[in-house]
Amino acid sequence: MHVVVLLKQVLDPEIPQKAFDVDPVRKVPKVERAPQVLSIFDGNALELALRLREARGDATITALTLGVERADEVLRKALALTCDAAVRVGADPEALDSRQKARLLAAAIRTLEPPDLVLAGRQAADWEAGQVGAMVAEELSLPCVPFVSRVEAAEDPLTVRQQLESGYAVVRLGGPSVCTVTNDETNVLRAAKVKDVMAAGRKPLRVIAPEEIGGISGLGPAVELLALELPAKRTGAEMVDAGSAEESARALARRLRELGAI
Amino acid sequence: MARVLAVLGLQGQGASASGLELLGLGARLARATSGTITALALGEGAGAQGERLLAHGADDVLWCADEALARWPGEAGLRALERAQQEVRPDLLLFSADSLGRDLAPRIAARLDAGLITEATELEFSEGRFVAARPVFGGKAIARMAATTELTVVTVRAGAGSALEPDASRAAGGSVRELDAAIAPGAAWPTVLRREIEASDGPRLEEAKTVVSGGRGVGGPEGFQTLQELADALKGAVGASRAAVDEGWVPAAWQVGQTGKAVAPDLYIAVGISGASQHMVGCSRAKTLVAINTDPDALIFETARIGVVGDYRELVPALARALRELA
Repeated sequence: MHVVVLLKQVLDPEIPQKAFDVDPVRKVPKVERAPQVLSIFDGNALELALRLREARGDATITALTLGVERADEVLRKALALTCDAAVRVGADPEALDSRQKARLLAAAIRTLEPPDLVLAGRQAADWEAGQVGAMVAEELSLPCVPFVSRVEAAEDPLTVRQQLESGYAVVRLGGPSVCTVTNDETNVLRAAKVKDVMAAGRKPLRVIAPEEIGGISGLGPAVELLALELPAKRTGAEMVDAGSAEESARALARRLRELGAI
Repeated sequence: MARVLAVLGLQGQGASASGLELLGLGARLARATSGTITALALGEGAGAQGERLLAHGADDVLWCADEALARWPGEAGLRALERAQQEVRPDLLLFSADSLGRDLAPRIAARLDAGLITEATELEFSEGRFVAARPVFGGKAIARMAATTELTVVTVRAGAGSALEPDASRAAGGSVRELDAAIAPGAAWPTVLRREIEASDGPRLEEAKTVVSGGRGVGGPEGFQTLQELADALKGAVGASRAAVDEGWVPAAWQVGQTGKAVAPDLYIAVGISGASQHMVGCSRAKTLVAINTDPDALIFETARIGVVGDYRELVPALARALRELA
């Protein structure tokens, strides 16, 4: 069984608002030193792949990213977590829309051993569009199951858990499929072992140029970014403190009554 | 003269509040262009919703209640959607940003080579095109976007629009028609074997007037019992931050935030939640936001309307008692 996991390197989402600014002309974030991390849900997808391989024994995992050279960091991390192979499509994700990225990722997947399962985080932690995973499915003419949080049965046919608004569905795959992955308590990404981190530095990384796989000729951007702005300034809370917890709670209840909130 | 197609998913419960909001938003946009809006109702019981959807702003209703939609929601939903697209030829295709819309929108947009904007919190018709605003970077910035294609596809968050006042007299003017989707299941389609719906006595999180949410500061699953008691006293629902879900303290369905549910209650009480923008995006549409936190420097006090510094283990039960005294 071959599992491909799509990984994206993103601006660290934990950067506080006060350190975050935008360049209104280029319409990109403006952050000093701009720390980069593996997008959170992609980490959940990677953990799900690792657990699937542990449950089955016969799986190999390829980590695939689209990014500039610095994005090799997320591939090194994937290799340190014992992924079997790592591939980067050498392109700047900021210059492409979701469909264009999906086109390139799908073309890169076609150069690999045909996957039985493609996993991607449900959305990236930077632009949070939640489009690329499902669009890769379309590009590959594969079915797609969104918001998968775990594998329910690891033998064929693979059965997965899909999160719904008010619970979950158990879904049986009918063959090669794309699953987008959401978080739950079973798929928090593990830490790499020190010896694996050392070994990962020596493993090969394959880089594919977009031209080698057909590029995106004929596929213009479908969405235009008109503006990137900071949200309206916040003013700060009115603090309630009436001494004891009991009195503060009473004061809070009265205030909520005045405001018509209860 | 735009043609708008709004997709409403039903699961035997009739159109949801968010579905009617979506319809209201679509109807206003259609009118702004002197165009028309068709509602596409998908799922069990869809055929019985026609008059209600007309009364809430649809000019026409297409419905599909094919049983395939329950077993193969994504793939069968796409087939129905493709057929509806061929009939209506919309300029704007609208979905709610829920599990159905987030599933179908990217795939239909790819199939139709259309520009897609997801998780919109605002959508307007401006200078001849549909322009959407949406939070990005965990709510630290707002992006304004428009499609460059003839068809614009948008998924819309709760609170971006509002339902129209129902007008039963509108029902006479519109048509209600079953969509002939002719869904033939494919062998490779992922099949729903069963659904486990978490039973809840209280209101649904998305529709509750009051939400009491807990984060890492709640400290464990037993703390959520304390929050549940307050929610019960207020006839509200309990929510959670991603941290509490990742710890396994509460089900994932309780998660509020950029990657969970977006809620817009009258009152939102955030307990032990630091206020990461990722979470705040999901609750910023609450009319009144109250934060309870032991850390006086917690980020959430910047956004909250009212803040109390202290231990929720004392404050929350005391608040439940105080509310009973007032009642």
